[in-house]
Amino acid sequence: MASVERPTYRLLGQRIPYVEGPLKVTGRAEYTDDLRRPGMLVARLLRSPWPHARLRSIDTTAARALPGVYAVLTGERYPTPFGVLPITHDETAIAVGKARYTGDILAAVAAQDERTAEAALALVRVDVEELPEYSDPRTGIARVAEPIHARGLNGSNVQKEVVQDFGDVDAAFSQAAQTARVRGTFAGVTHAFTEPMATIAESTPDGRLTVWSATQVPHYLHRSLSEVLGIPMHRIRVIKPEVGGAFGGKSDPLPHEIVCAALAIETGRPVKLLFDREDVFYTNHGRHPTQNDVRIAVDADGRILAYDIEALIDGGAWSSFGTVTTYYNGVLSMGPYRVPNFRYHGRRVYTNRPPSGAMRAHGGTNIRYSVEVALDLLAEQLGRDPFDLRAINALPPNSTTVNEFRITSTSFLKCLAAAREKSGWDAKFRRLPYGRGVGLGCGFYISGSNSPIHFTPKMPQSTVHLKVDMDGGIAVHSMQADIGQGSNTLLAAIVAEVLGVDLERVHVQRVDSDVSPIDIGSYSSRVTFMMGNAARSAALDLRGQLIAAAAELLGRPAESIETTHERFQVRGAPEVGVSFAAALEKAMERVGALTATGAYSTTPKGGTFKGARAGTAPAYSFAAYVAQVDVDVETGEYHVEKIWAAFDCGRALNRLAVEGQIEGSIHMGLGQVMGESMNYRGARLFNPSFLEYKIPTADQMPEVEILLVAEDDPEGPFGAKEAGEGPLIATLPAVGNALYDAIGVRFTELPITPDRVLRGIDRRRREGRPWKGA
Amino acid sequence: MHLDPFELHRPTSLDATVRLAGDLAGRFDYLAGGTDLLPNYKMHLNLRPHLIALDRVPELRGRSLERLGAMERLADLERDPALRAAFPGLADAVSEVATPLVRASGTVGGNLLVETRCFFFNQSYFWRASLGFCLKADGDRCHVVPQKERCYATFSGDLAPPLIALDAEVEIAGADGRRRIPLAAMYDAGGDGIRRTTLAPGEIVVAVHLPSAARGLRSRYKKLRVRPSYDFPELGVAVAGRWEDGGRVERLRLAIGGAETYPRRFDDLTSALEGGTLSDERVRALAEAVGERVRPVHNTFLLPDYRRRMVAVYVRRALAEARAGRAG
Amino acid sequence: MSSQELLSFRLNGQPVTTPCEPARILLDLLREDLEETGTKRGCDLGTCGCCTVLLDGRPTLSCLSLARLVEGCEVTTIEGVSPPQGLSPVQAAFVAHGATQCGFCTPGFVLTATALLKENPHPSREEIVRAISGNLCRCTGYTKIIEAIDAAARGGP
Repeated sequence: MASVERPTYRLLGQRIPYVEGPLKVTGRAEYTDDLRRPGMLVARLLRSPWPHARLRSIDTTAARALPGVYAVLTGERYPTPFGVLPITHDETAIAVGKARYTGDILAAVAAQDERTAEAALALVRVDVEELPEYSDPRTGIARVAEPIHARGLNGSNVQKEVVQDFGDVDAAFSQAAQTARVRGTFAGVTHAFTEPMATIAESTPDGRLTVWSATQVPHYLHRSLSEVLGIPMHRIRVIKPEVGGAFGGKSDPLPHEIVCAALAIETGRPVKLLFDREDVFYTNHGRHPTQNDVRIAVDADGRILAYDIEALIDGGAWSSFGTVTTYYNGVLSMGPYRVPNFRYHGRRVYTNRPPSGAMRAHGGTNIRYSVEVALDLLAEQLGRDPFDLRAINALPPNSTTVNEFRITSTSFLKCLAAAREKSGWDAKFRRLPYGRGVGLGCGFYISGSNSPIHFTPKMPQSTVHLKVDMDGGIAVHSMQADIGQGSNTLLAAIVAEVLGVDLERVHVQRVDSDVSPIDIGSYSSRVTFMMGNAARSAALDLRGQLIAAAAELLGRPAESIETTHERFQVRGAPEVGVSFAAALEKAMERVGALTATGAYSTTPKGGTFKGARAGTAPAYSFAAYVAQVDVDVETGEYHVEKIWAAFDCGRALNRLAVEGQIEGSIHMGLGQVMGESMNYRGARLFNPSFLEYKIPTADQMPEVEILLVAEDDPEGPFGAKEAGEGPLIATLPAVGNALYDAIGVRFTELPITPDRVLRGIDRRRREGRPWKGA
Repeated sequence: MHLDPFELHRPTSLDATVRLAGDLAGRFDYLAGGTDLLPNYKMHLNLRPHLIALDRVPELRGRSLERLGAMERLADLERDPALRAAFPGLADAVSEVATPLVRASGTVGGNLLVETRCFFFNQSYFWRASLGFCLKADGDRCHVVPQKERCYATFSGDLAPPLIALDAEVEIAGADGRRRIPLAAMYDAGGDGIRRTTLAPGEIVVAVHLPSAARGLRSRYKKLRVRPSYDFPELGVAVAGRWEDGGRVERLRLAIGGAETYPRRFDDLTSALEGGTLSDERVRALAEAVGERVRPVHNTFLLPDYRRRMVAVYVRRALAEARAGRAG
Repeated sequence: MSSQELLSFRLNGQPVTTPCEPARILLDLLREDLEETGTKRGCDLGTCGCCTVLLDGRPTLSCLSLARLVEGCEVTTIEGVSPPQGLSPVQAAFVAHGATQCGFCTPGFVLTATALLKENPHPSREEIVRAISGNLCRCTGYTKIIEAIDAAARGGP
């Protein structure tokens, strides 16, 4: 790519402290459970103790009769199915006809207090016929006695099957110099955000319903409430308070949010529904338990000839984002490499387990682990350095993949070079003593999805409104959902950058569907790219109005006016200018408060085959990570000493936030490698608690060296791409491959717990294959 | 999560406490730091209608190198340089209990009497009801080792092994007055996960006494767990010994927690080594002999085979580190 | 049952007297009865540290504290370490270093850090890590939290 001179900015690219930071460090930020309404009732849910059961009858008579109980709801009151994807509406607010997992909602109570609500739940009588329990996706592929959903393919529990075939995979394998195969097994993991879900709903006599909820996609919640409750969207108001972490776990419209609203309607009073931590684990929607089978063929130089991939994905009880998951496990496996021939067979199978869904780096994490381990194997088989193998396969900028993804910017080669140099790779790889090792893992992820859910493709994915009045403060409205990643800060900074004003003038308003223009929320790593472009466009509109006023005041043509700090002045004659305040006052003479709007649309790009849109994005992120590990070869315990994280997010607009996203992603990725696991025995979740679900603690976190070396993206706002999810992906294979370098054992089952490490060491010793002399 | 109603008592003397315990026989729990009892109460595990809070009983306080009051907080022990210097193994264990926040409230007595733990027990009422209750709470069968006679819940305290290795004694008060027994004897109750101690109903642990012979020992506690904080022991190995300058071991004790229903010592194995030199071979033999005897079951995070295999490794390491360490 | 006896203690420097039943948990009393909502409810079982308060100066899990046992004690919540205007040095460092993301765990970390620096004004990195090892954060990977506490100890934001 031709070298382009990189502009610099006043704010963007700096370390910008989060705008709501002062509220959060003082406990003044308001989360849903911090809010209360007069006369508010408490809701509690009756959950199914059965993994799979036909509901014969639910008798709520005694529960209703209990003093202090205002309403008891069961499924048939609001039976309209819903779900995050319009094509897979298979959930209901409360179970109708069947319970599909232990934890499924059977009834809901609104009462004067928690104790009364729980006493009422204990009085609900449920009569069921227990059904066969399906907990292994393998057995759900064929026709089963009692499909979990009627929509399973051909009487099976298969929710979605994807078959894709590009080029001639068999021919490529027959010509291969080397092939490698990795069969990976991945336990389910969950978001484990610290704020449990919470919703408050209030139905008022003016015929409106207001819902406050801990959601990362207020708009989809808004739509689902309307669909299920049968109320037009304009009579529903959705408000998003601060959200205490989400990572995908608050992106589906969730049944309890609808239940809470329904109870508010039934009772005519405000109702709060707050989850226990155990409720959060059952609600799950975390990363799918997955088995994959990856075969890769390369030529004698190590150039990739073909991928042949299968994935079997345990969906749990509902579809959720599962159709997307099934595609992503295939299509996100290729980048950052050029893969000329590609075959994929993916199946997502319903089981009687808590539903899985979208979790940070959705669909791109488990498959990436197996691919990167396979590439590590191939490098070894070819006697090539793993960096070199990756480098010769790098997708070039401005290219098209075999499945017709449009690749624009990529700084993957720069990432590789930086990670190699800074980690001291060449002095360490295969040269550290037995028990210590380094490993390379790479990553690739979408920077937003070209295919918005629930939207006609002609509608913008993001809209931003600005309003500035006599006070000189700029109110910013958008339904983008800050869930802690710093999108409010970025929104404010972009507006301030374009207008040349101090950040403190810009006030990002709380998401409120009555006043916030639609942005489809925080998922698929879309916010920086899409909201950022919309915000830039809105701010440019507002700046145009101010420049026109300044031009009028100065008697100069608008084209000659430039924007500097809190001032508009004549280019080349800086002494001739007016202040921001003076320009504003002039501009307001005609219209009063100034308003501006900006929007961002992607036009679907990609092929025309079935599923072609899955994974298409306006840009992609790239990553190259090196992990260094130290293994206790007698106990299997290991320590990740350091991670060098080279990441291509285009230009980092808020360095503080980008670093925070990378560090947090590494932490979450390490959790999945080292110990996090939804531990099921059959359909039953054994560890629905923070004590037994092993989130890494502060003392497990390695040193992280962040290497931001990327060029600007041509279409991203100010050159930026995503940094919220992609940074997770490379963590896992970097550690897996580092363990191989340390002890010569390939781990294909996650999490890699000490007992598994020790078993691997044993196996290698038994086979009489010493490693590094041990 | 709320607690079901109970009556709360806050006696201000040991006599009053013991009297109250007699009056409320079988209908109360003692409340020390609350970090074990209150989560269990929130999960509706074996609720009692009365709680006797011990925070105002002066006889349960006090900390010296001879005596640790049962209500002494772990965070205070952790910050006591004299205690660390005198009993390094005990100090290891104290500083590895749960988290700093738990240690701020958690007490010596509470850790000694921490409820035994099991995947089938430490769950909410909903969870347990959905699977079928177990012997230890509300049910009549064990899900870990399917049968109806015996509970296999795991002893998960960290302080008991190092204290046992120091030959500590426990001072107990009850309706019949006070008594002192070896701490190990308190746990010698038949190995059931439900009846965990030899304490008579209503008896209370007043203090732990450290014999003068416990001073000057080299000691170490090694804890196996998934994360370096939060987690209960998947295995806890304590050793304490006295080595002569020539390298012969004069006295050696070893105790293990986190592996079975009660903390165990292995005096027959360790006393056989006293008077001799602890060669690598003898250490290895000891470690393996201990590993042979310990039988974890599958009711914690790590698999029992692995935990069992780790016994030998941890014993060997604890011995090596204790020997290399400073004498208390 | 003496279910609604009065409980008296000092909350953030002010005396408080409030009805309190024996089974009331301190976290519930603070959030529900006294409307001090800066103290967060993350797990209710002592496994996340979001509900940390200072009990006579010591970081304590309010979700595992019986409210009645704080009779006569000094309870400090995040509201109590926040100056009327501006931020405390620890708070300012958390903001400057981006140690908050979602912010839900933040009050607990700020209180733990405040107590640490009072007890040990110049902690090593290891001492900081150890002090916060009972507070879970799912957003930051702890890195910026550790940086912030270290910066506060050095007297800068």
